Amino acid sequence: MSGSVAGDQATWSHALVNISPYTFSAIGIAVAIGVSVLGAAWGIYITGSSLIGAAIKAPRITSKNLISVIFCEAVAIYGVIVAIILQTKLESVPKSQIYAPESLRAGYAIFASGIIVGFANLVCGLCVGIIGSSCALSDAQNSSLFVKILVIEIFGSALGLFGVIVGIIMSAQASWPSKAG
Amino acid sequence: MSSTFSGDETAPFFGFLGAAAALVFSCMGAAYGTAKSGVGVASMGVMRPELVMKSIVPVVMAGVLGIYGLIIAVIISTGINPKAKSYYLFDGYAHLSSGLACGLAGLSAGMAIGIVGDAGVRYGLLPVLSLFLLIWLVAMVDTVIGLLQVKCSLLLCCKEIHLHSNLKVIKIAGPLQQRLLSQFTKHLLEFNIFFSYCFRMNCVEPEPQ
Repeated sequence: MSGSVAGDQATWSHALVNISPYTFSAIGIAVAIGVSVLGAAWGIYITGSSLIGAAIKAPRITSKNLISVIFCEAVAIYGVIVAIILQTKLESVPKSQIYAPESLRAGYAIFASGIIVGFANLVCGLCVGIIGSSCALSDAQNSSLFVKILVIEIFGSALGLFGVIVGIIMSAQASWPSKAG
Repeated sequence: MSSTFSGDETAPFFGFLGAAAALVFSCMGAAYGTAKSGVGVASMGVMRPELVMKSIVPVVMAGVLGIYGLIIAVIISTGINPKAKSYYLFDGYAHLSSGLACGLAGLSAGMAIGIVGDAGVRYGLLPVLSLFLLIWLVAMVDTVIGLLQVKCSLLLCCKEIHLHSNLKVIKIAGPLQQRLLSQFTKHLLEFNIFFSYCFRMNCVEPEPQ
């Protein structure tokens, strides 16, 4: 790597320029949905195991605390929505234009958008799951606490929305070169 | 490849990755802060349910970190527009460093808020330490780190590069961004002072023995 400048044959820039933008787009879309669902599942298993355990002694908590599971599930739905939006942004370009700067940029935009949505939903699902489990346990002790801890859970689920917002704003940058160009 | 290859086509990769880093790491910090403080609040709420609504402050502070990351990510991603202004490799790296500065500062601030908030709400019941002085500490930590986070990343993403034949002249962005920055700073400081005053008024008195 020593002595390589931007004009050399062996820099990272050359490697990146020769990777098709469709590769990046496909990986972005897969990460958007796959990692979001991973986050939702992780949150649901954390909440669900606490909920079922606490419900042995306090069966009244089960129906109310299913709302924590629904908050986790919403995170997976955000991932599905954004993955569908991203895959409608894919267009076919003529073979000469695949490595044009504009289509490279479109590929990078879809990739980054997918990463943002995927990992933001992963941490959101985890957060909501942990809080949901403590919500179930404190509800079993004292039912006036349910609504108060639910407020904290709503703050947690806002993080997934941030990811979706930025992902959609960024996917608007994914403009492929037109066929005539 | 010809010798005029400059690598500028790959600059958006680093730019978009900077925006991604800003949001993802800030969200990680916000999630950690929310979850850890939330567990502390729930544990404390079993003993003292009346203090739960007052103890939500660390959770709100952690959520604000996510908003900082959102702002910086949107600023970066709308700044990557090669049609409006040519986007050199320098701009890509500047945006990457800006996003990483914002995101990693947010991650560490969120972890700090989580740990301090959790300990603060659990042990704030001691008569020696007032619950609300501890929460004020959390607000201070968050404000200071959030300030540094936003300041560094705005400065980094506002650098422009002008090519004059063989000279490269670097110019920090114009008066608009600097005014935005100073106003934001001023508001954060005012908010912090107001907040700390409010909490000082609400200190919990220890039970008479």
